Amino acid sequence: MERAARNVRRFARRFWRGLREWCGDAAYERYLRSLASRRCETRALTAEEFYVEQLTRRYSRPNRCC
Amino acid sequence: MSVALLGGAALAKIAFDRGESLNAIWFVIAAVCCYLVAYRLYSAFLAARLLALDDTRATPSERNDDGRDFVPTSKWVLFGHHFAAIAGPGPLVGPTLAAQFGYLPGTLWLIAGAAFAGCVQDFIILFCSIRRDGKSIGQMAREEVSKRGGFIAQLAVLAIMVILLGVVALVVVNALKSSPWATFTLAMTIPIALLVGVYLRFVRPGRVLEASLMGVGLILFVVVAGQWVADSPSWARVFTLGGVPLAFAIIVYAFAASALPVWLLLAPRDYLSAFIKAGAIFALAAGILFVRPHVLMPPLTRFIDGSGPVFAGKIFPFCFITIACGAISGFHSLISSGTTPKMILRESHARFIGYGAMLLESFVGVMAMVAACAMTPGVYFAINSPPSIVGATPDAAAATISGWGFPLTAQTMTGLAHAVGEQTLWNRAGGAPSLAVGMAQIFSNTIGGERLLSIWYHFAIMFEALFILTVLDAGTRVGRFMVQELGGRVWKPFGRTGWMPSVILSSAIIVGMWGYFLYQGVVDPLGGINSLWPLFGISNQLLAAVALVVATTILLKMGRTRWIWVTLLPMAWLVIITMTASYQKIFDANPRIGFLAYANALAAQMAAGKIPAAKLVDTQRLIFNQRLDAAVTAVLALMVIVLIVEALVQWYVILSSRRASALHESPYVQTQWAEGYSGIAQGDD
Repeated sequence: MERAARNVRRFARRFWRGLREWCGDAAYERYLRSLASRRCETRALTAEEFYVEQLTRRYSRPNRCC
Repeated sequence: MSVALLGGAALAKIAFDRGESLNAIWFVIAAVCCYLVAYRLYSAFLAARLLALDDTRATPSERNDDGRDFVPTSKWVLFGHHFAAIAGPGPLVGPTLAAQFGYLPGTLWLIAGAAFAGCVQDFIILFCSIRRDGKSIGQMAREEVSKRGGFIAQLAVLAIMVILLGVVALVVVNALKSSPWATFTLAMTIPIALLVGVYLRFVRPGRVLEASLMGVGLILFVVVAGQWVADSPSWARVFTLGGVPLAFAIIVYAFAASALPVWLLLAPRDYLSAFIKAGAIFALAAGILFVRPHVLMPPLTRFIDGSGPVFAGKIFPFCFITIACGAISGFHSLISSGTTPKMILRESHARFIGYGAMLLESFVGVMAMVAACAMTPGVYFAINSPPSIVGATPDAAAATISGWGFPLTAQTMTGLAHAVGEQTLWNRAGGAPSLAVGMAQIFSNTIGGERLLSIWYHFAIMFEALFILTVLDAGTRVGRFMVQELGGRVWKPFGRTGWMPSVILSSAIIVGMWGYFLYQGVVDPLGGINSLWPLFGISNQLLAAVALVVATTILLKMGRTRWIWVTLLPMAWLVIITMTASYQKIFDANPRIGFLAYANALAAQMAAGKIPAAKLVDTQRLIFNQRLDAAVTAVLALMVIVLIVEALVQWYVILSSRRASALHESPYVQTQWAEGYSGIAQGDD
């Protein structure tokens, strides 16, 4: 029973994380992680700057189909 | 083996059952079993033998990880991204229109076309792009086929974009025409999107989930509130619009969405649309499984001879041209060589994402076919036929449709329109209203019964219109960039994407181009869809042929000559159907099929003095439009012929070993990721 509950919790956690990744909620956290892992000297964008910059790039190429 | 047998049995039931009606569950079983077999066997063959996917090779997301474009992403999340990007209105509208031939030809092509053509194209182009650091189909065509090939591919993309946007806008216009409820609901999505945009930019930057849920809640509220607007005579008058004012409203909206900052309107609408799209598709699948409706349309109708009222043309090639995206879509090659290859974690994920997502899109097409065929055939033809074919009055139209063997009374249509909260359902060609009726019947049989039919109908219309508008504004913006890029070659400042005069002028050019097609569709007495949807289908399938030409060239360069039929056969099939359809649309002697025949028939009527003086200008414009459509079709076909000739020269050189074929892959770099790395953030279980 406890094992089943653990599995459900794990699934729910993964689902939640996947949903946040899918809809773009986690994009800024991912960007900061990527920046930290590359030990870049450049200044990290703020959440607001990153959001606007990311949208401008995404909507400058075909990203929705017929 | 048991899945294959079950799928075979279900297909046999669909193909040979001649009872009064067929349960839709057979469609679901047949489709799902075929998909499972195709995925398990054919895609595994493609992955192992043809492409030899290599998980030891670092993908672009590993080599270029920047947290922005190149982002290693879990395969389930990326599958969701990719599916949300490729699934547009095409797989819903195309099968609905093709239902005029009966349920059988469309369903078989949806399943077989996806398994052997559409999924193959998406999968192989994705693979090719991964091996080239996420290069676009145009860049790959330029490098692997020829410079001219790349330029042609770029022009083909722009051309298909213009036609696509004009056609999908026409679908929205026909869905909203004379419907205050639907028009109000869709109009309200604009301030809701603006609100979500401001929230995401200034209040809680990037918190997409909470903002989208808030927006979706508001949209569901305005779907219900639309009923109050429709019931109020003064408000209903404000939101009751004809085709032409609606067309201009959509043109102005798209111009604004293209020129305004992307965070304000375009992106928030896209978020809302993605959530509603995912929810509605899931609900439709669940509804079909729960209700198990009976398919009332016959397997084949009399209209396979080309005399169909929805659009004219024989089953070959027009069934394939009309279904388009549900089986294979050239537009997918832009997505498969766009964002997805830059985010993929391992090469082996390309099979699940490229092949698997297209299977799911095909399943959406099968569900749309079920929804369209589950309604009474007479009602289906009444909604989708223009008055010039069936008759201008309800009684005349009902008599014509009954005469075809699909019993219908004018009272049935009046009662149905009343039940779904509309003034009329006659002459609403475009697929969206008939699909909405089908979906509403399935949903209301699941929850709420007859009482909620009108709410469900307007929910379905809002769902279709919302994500069509998303395609429209995103497509207009991308088209604007293409125009700026092309213009920048002539005059440099025009190519600067942030320069306001260039932004406004290029937005006006792209909107003007597709807006012209929209306008001609709205004023076309044959309904617009009759000429524009086949034009869209032809251009889309031609782009797919371009993608398969590029894929075939790359495979030949990789030395996969033995398996070249994998892309060569679908490519040849697409070339045959598109060239046949192009020829017929230009030169067929039937004015309902051939653009030139229609133009000549109108010109002859004018010369004989049969056109009233008040309609002379309209008729002249109609003649010009038909000739323009013929010219556009011819140019598209010619571009693809030139590309194929270029590719044939390349293939000859490769096969005759006259020159070592240069493959423009990125060099091999071994992955540094451990075998079990899933791309999910640290801190996971």
